Amino acid sequence: MPVDFELTKEQEDIKATVREFAERYIAPKAVEFDEKQEIHPEIIREMARLGLFGVVFPDKYGGLGLDPVTAGLILEEIVRADLTFSLAVAYLVQTSWGYIAYKYGSEEFRDEVITKAARGDLWIGIATTEPGAGSDLVGITTTARKVGSEYVVSGEKAYISGVREARERGKWFEYGGGHVTLTYTDKSKQHRGMTFFFIPLTDPNISIRLEKEFGRKGWSFGSFVLNDVKVPEKYRIGDEGRGFYIAMEGFDHARAYIALACAVGGKRAIELAVEYAKQRKAFDSPIASFQGIQFQLADNWARLEAAHSLAYKALWALKMEQEGKIGRFEVTKIAAAAKLFAVQAAKAAIDDALRWFGAYGYTEENLVALALKAVKSYDWAEGSLDIMRLIVAREVLGRDFVSGRRR
Amino acid sequence: MPLNIVVLVKPVVDPKAVVRFRPDGTIDRSAAKLVANPYDKYAVEAALQLRERYGGRVVGLSMAPPQAADALREVLAMGVDEFVLLSDPRLAGSDTLATSYALSAGVRMIERKLGKVDLVVCGIESSDSNTGHIGPEVGEWLGIPSVSYVDTVLDVSEGYVVVKRLIEGGYMKLRVRLPAVLSIAGTSYQPRIPTLRDVLASRRKQITVVGVDDIGVDPSLVGLAGSPTRVVRMWRIEIKRKSKIFTDTDVDALVEKFLEELRKDGITLSR
Repeated sequence: MPVDFELTKEQEDIKATVREFAERYIAPKAVEFDEKQEIHPEIIREMARLGLFGVVFPDKYGGLGLDPVTAGLILEEIVRADLTFSLAVAYLVQTSWGYIAYKYGSEEFRDEVITKAARGDLWIGIATTEPGAGSDLVGITTTARKVGSEYVVSGEKAYISGVREARERGKWFEYGGGHVTLTYTDKSKQHRGMTFFFIPLTDPNISIRLEKEFGRKGWSFGSFVLNDVKVPEKYRIGDEGRGFYIAMEGFDHARAYIALACAVGGKRAIELAVEYAKQRKAFDSPIASFQGIQFQLADNWARLEAAHSLAYKALWALKMEQEGKIGRFEVTKIAAAAKLFAVQAAKAAIDDALRWFGAYGYTEENLVALALKAVKSYDWAEGSLDIMRLIVAREVLGRDFVSGRRR
Repeated sequence: MPLNIVVLVKPVVDPKAVVRFRPDGTIDRSAAKLVANPYDKYAVEAALQLRERYGGRVVGLSMAPPQAADALREVLAMGVDEFVLLSDPRLAGSDTLATSYALSAGVRMIERKLGKVDLVVCGIESSDSNTGHIGPEVGEWLGIPSVSYVDTVLDVSEGYVVVKRLIEGGYMKLRVRLPAVLSIAGTSYQPRIPTLRDVLASRRKQITVVGVDDIGVDPSLVGLAGSPTRVVRMWRIEIKRKSKIFTDTDVDALVEKFLEELRKDGITLSR
């Protein structure tokens, strides 16, 4: 297996530029994201100006046409500067689900919506979960009925990121935004009867409700109710009946980016804690000189380094898939394994890192504490850890051994 | 009036990287990553803003080994139109006198191409040697006025540039005949962060590498031979801080003790 971690000149330039931006604009404000429960709109607009909301869209639609590995390098810099993960959510959801919307959207949709998204004038989110269905997506009840040249959508989506940012025009994004929303067009066919639509949350027949999220509070989290919302056919993402499969593909993208965000966030938390442990003295020595901390540091660092590499393998797999070199299920397996491993590695590392700070770390102003709350969300977000285990086991054992199936 | 502006940019060892020294005390530049001198980026920003206001062209000029070209990409991404890199083994070892001589010849070469150069702008100093010599010296070699510590360029018209120049405790407003050299102090011109599109496009912009013969300088006046400065020794200086702790329950007495201590050091405070 040939391996090469060397970056191209272009990748180095991009990374250096985003780091400069992140250090100058994001890092000084990150604690405020959670405190104010919103991201300063000028930061979002500056990200848009730089082109950070359009990295994976093709040049034809105003994007930069970058591959998932390069998109990951950008995510690293965003996470390093913002351990609340608020901006990571804003960036990675657009980068993964925006890409899916582009890939399966109609040409008319691309011209109208993707061009705006690529400029950072519109945000694209994801809405699959409902109050009664998460891991078991077949249990969703949102339906889309075809009436003439449009669809009429009704139902409720819950625990969705970015509902406020998509609802409000002009504050963060000129046109607000919308969510790639999973519905049934034919309930009787179960997962084969699901269809995806891009639904603008600015629609008057949609009402939103915000939750008080436990962490990563800068990017909103809540539910929205669709009350006979009329959606033009051009906003259908992929064919009728393909929604479930397209969702699974989108999850692969999101999981690979999440794995990277967790690995990098964990490493950054360790860095911050190491700085502290070198300074803080107990029993006449810096606490970093005690093996109790050194052994934790070594174990965590090793796991995070492994998680970091695995996350890049998942992003590389997505790139290989785009180039037609590896198959769908191989990507799914690696992305699920990456998320499964990275979330746990990051949680353990950040938990230990926070402990080194002692009582001093137990505040809402300590980025390491905020990071712990943030990575906790990935126990569920974009697929629970147990679902990751089911996927890896299914892909390793083969489909004859799918758990719970009657034989 | 469209302006032709030359901006001087020095590739320096990344100030954020860990610097390694050789046993003789000089910086080990072999492994170090080079970036554009952070002070020069303020000058680049000033030049770009002037171009946005008056039109014209911004040409970068640098003197460095060819491998330093990568460090110039970031200012090309910011919007500099093209770059001229003076690169010749005969230039190695140049001190500020020899460097400013070579750079002034570079400005003249650019002038032959563009017709005229209205302004030469640069940072106030470099982050690695911090002499602050280059701007004024280039002005001398070219025989044109130079202004250091320029905070803002207020106006360019009718053959003059009006600048606000920082001085201790205030500023001066100066009207200077063009062409002129301006050393930009890093206060008013926050360097822009380029868009990723411009970052990617910067690799397609032109960096013209020229040597001693192309710019027509006297080889005996550049490089080590043309440099009267000799670095005799480099050493690490340690700044030791002293601290004294005064205790008193009476705040006025405490302040008096503190003032007395300052007076002993020759510092008098007026009310």
